[in-house]
Amino acid sequence: MSDIQEATDQLLDVNLFENQRFVQVTESGHRSEPEHLQVTIGATVPTGFEQTAADEVREKLGSSCKISKDRGKIYFDISVESLAQVHCLRSVDNLFVVVQELKDYQFKETKEEVLKDFEDLAGKLPWSDPLKVWKINTSFKKKKAKRKKINQNSSKGKINNGRGEKIDERDVKKDFTSDALDPHILDYYENPGIKEEISTLVGDDLASSKEDDTDESSKEETDHRALKFRVTCNRAGEKHCFTSNEAARDFGGAVQDYFKWKADMTNFDVEVLLNIHDNEIVVGIALTEESLHRRNITHFGPTTLRSTLAYGMLRLCAPQPSDIIVDPMCGTGAIPIEGATEWSKCYHIAGDNNPLAVNRAANNISSLLTKNQIQESKPSWGLPIDAVQWDICNLPLRTGSVDIIVTDMPFGKRMGSKKRNWNLYPACLREMSRVCRPGTGRAVLLTQDKKCFTKALSRMGHVWRKVHTVWVNIGGLHAAVYLLKRTSQAFVRSSEQDEEKGTPSSCQE
Amino acid sequence: MKLLTHNLLSSHVRGVGPRGYPLRLQATEVRINPVEFNPDFVARMIPKVEWAALLEAADTLHLVEVPEGPTEGYERDEKFLRKMHHVLLEVDVLEGTLQCPESGRLFPISRGIPNMLLNDEETET
Repeated sequence: MSDIQEATDQLLDVNLFENQRFVQVTESGHRSEPEHLQVTIGATVPTGFEQTAADEVREKLGSSCKISKDRGKIYFDISVESLAQVHCLRSVDNLFVVVQELKDYQFKETKEEVLKDFEDLAGKLPWSDPLKVWKINTSFKKKKAKRKKINQNSSKGKINNGRGEKIDERDVKKDFTSDALDPHILDYYENPGIKEEISTLVGDDLASSKEDDTDESSKEETDHRALKFRVTCNRAGEKHCFTSNEAARDFGGAVQDYFKWKADMTNFDVEVLLNIHDNEIVVGIALTEESLHRRNITHFGPTTLRSTLAYGMLRLCAPQPSDIIVDPMCGTGAIPIEGATEWSKCYHIAGDNNPLAVNRAANNISSLLTKNQIQESKPSWGLPIDAVQWDICNLPLRTGSVDIIVTDMPFGKRMGSKKRNWNLYPACLREMSRVCRPGTGRAVLLTQDKKCFTKALSRMGHVWRKVHTVWVNIGGLHAAVYLLKRTSQAFVRSSEQDEEKGTPSSCQE
Repeated sequence: MKLLTHNLLSSHVRGVGPRGYPLRLQATEVRINPVEFNPDFVARMIPKVEWAALLEAADTLHLVEVPEGPTEGYERDEKFLRKMHHVLLEVDVLEGTLQCPESGRLFPISRGIPNMLLNDEETET
């Protein structure tokens, strides 16, 4: 209960918000000016890649991270001045500012009592600094939106109906080329039922542009009307006697009374996060658009490869300058594009056998170039990335010429045949071992068919050594990312292998 | 398709093996795309480049000022590195063909993307 006592004490220092206005509160005492504010930021990251994200935070922000027991979250302290850089992190999906962390929260016995406690909690939390951060963050996002609009050229593309969208708010830029062939940053949406439908970020773009528009037009109104808010509750734990909806509802009710804000589930200014994991509660305020879109994604059960996951996979193999990095089953190119953006001192090749995929990858690359053009204000700058149409079982690459292979292996689902995997996986691993540079080469492979993969790998001990496994959760599905090192043994083409290779049907999708 | 990619590509028509390299390049449309110069990248890439293949491709495209090979102390020779940077990264073949030197099989390049897929017969033993 000591945390609650602390919160109550802090309450005495806080000025209450006047109704109908959001007023910048300056506090007396030990708190510093808003510009030098130190805050705790929470970030959601792909589960399994918490350490990778922590490494990126240390590298780019100089802060050390706490990795939460609640999987997929990391926490770190920054000064508010670094807020812009925080948004540039490539390994985080969503950001929030921590209002309060309550460790070892004592839940009462009955649901009524627990929910009453949540109601009481709302008024006792140290809201003012986090809200300052939220405000700075919002104005920073609006500046970005303004710049986007100035740089925007030509029309917006088609909307796909919101399924399987990759959320990448940082990179959402409304700068489309006039290329009629769908030039938007796409993501590989894997679902056996809609295997040729590729999801787009366009929906995101338009949705967030709508939000921006609303924000822009209502910017003047913000100061003159009550803020709109929602509460999102995530609950995990076996001993809770309440649901996340109930907690969100009652906590939200109290927040509404306290701030005199208006509750609005879809068109909100402030998103309050109530994260409950066993006995730990973290209250936060979202700094990125918490994905209503992503909630739709989980509903459809996708395995969308988010750019954050692509980043995590690339980081795992520690790319060095001049490394040649190949994704031989690139889909729409999520991994190579992330690679070309973040590791521009390497050379990236995106390959796939599906002409639709390769074309989309190429279009995504063009969009990336256009984005760079606008950002850097340079005419048609190229990037160290190329696309090729090829067959993974027969890669048209020189033996031992590739430093890193990184890919999402989609076979199990799209083929719909586990039996085929038994032939396919060994063939892939073999061909990958051929093109990969002996001794220094490595591969990072994401797969859901872990059984088949492990079995295939067990027969390749002479060329591949498994170094590390990251267990990931993708849309509720348990997958694994395997980091493999290429042994120094040179690839030997045996007649036996050639015979096995001579079954073309198994290599065509 | 950049020339660095061409340098890595090899024909995989059955039975051809290492004689499938390098692919003979023919281009009908080429674009020059400035790419940010990174001397460290170029210097480290030099040992990985197959020079004969690069020179052959550069010759087909009638590129000028292509170094014949790594010069002494090339790592610190900015002029050399810039020339290599240009040849490897800034020349983009948009339309053309790649031909297997052994079997004669043609692979088309369209919109900058080489299509290296083989038919069933070409992959069968």
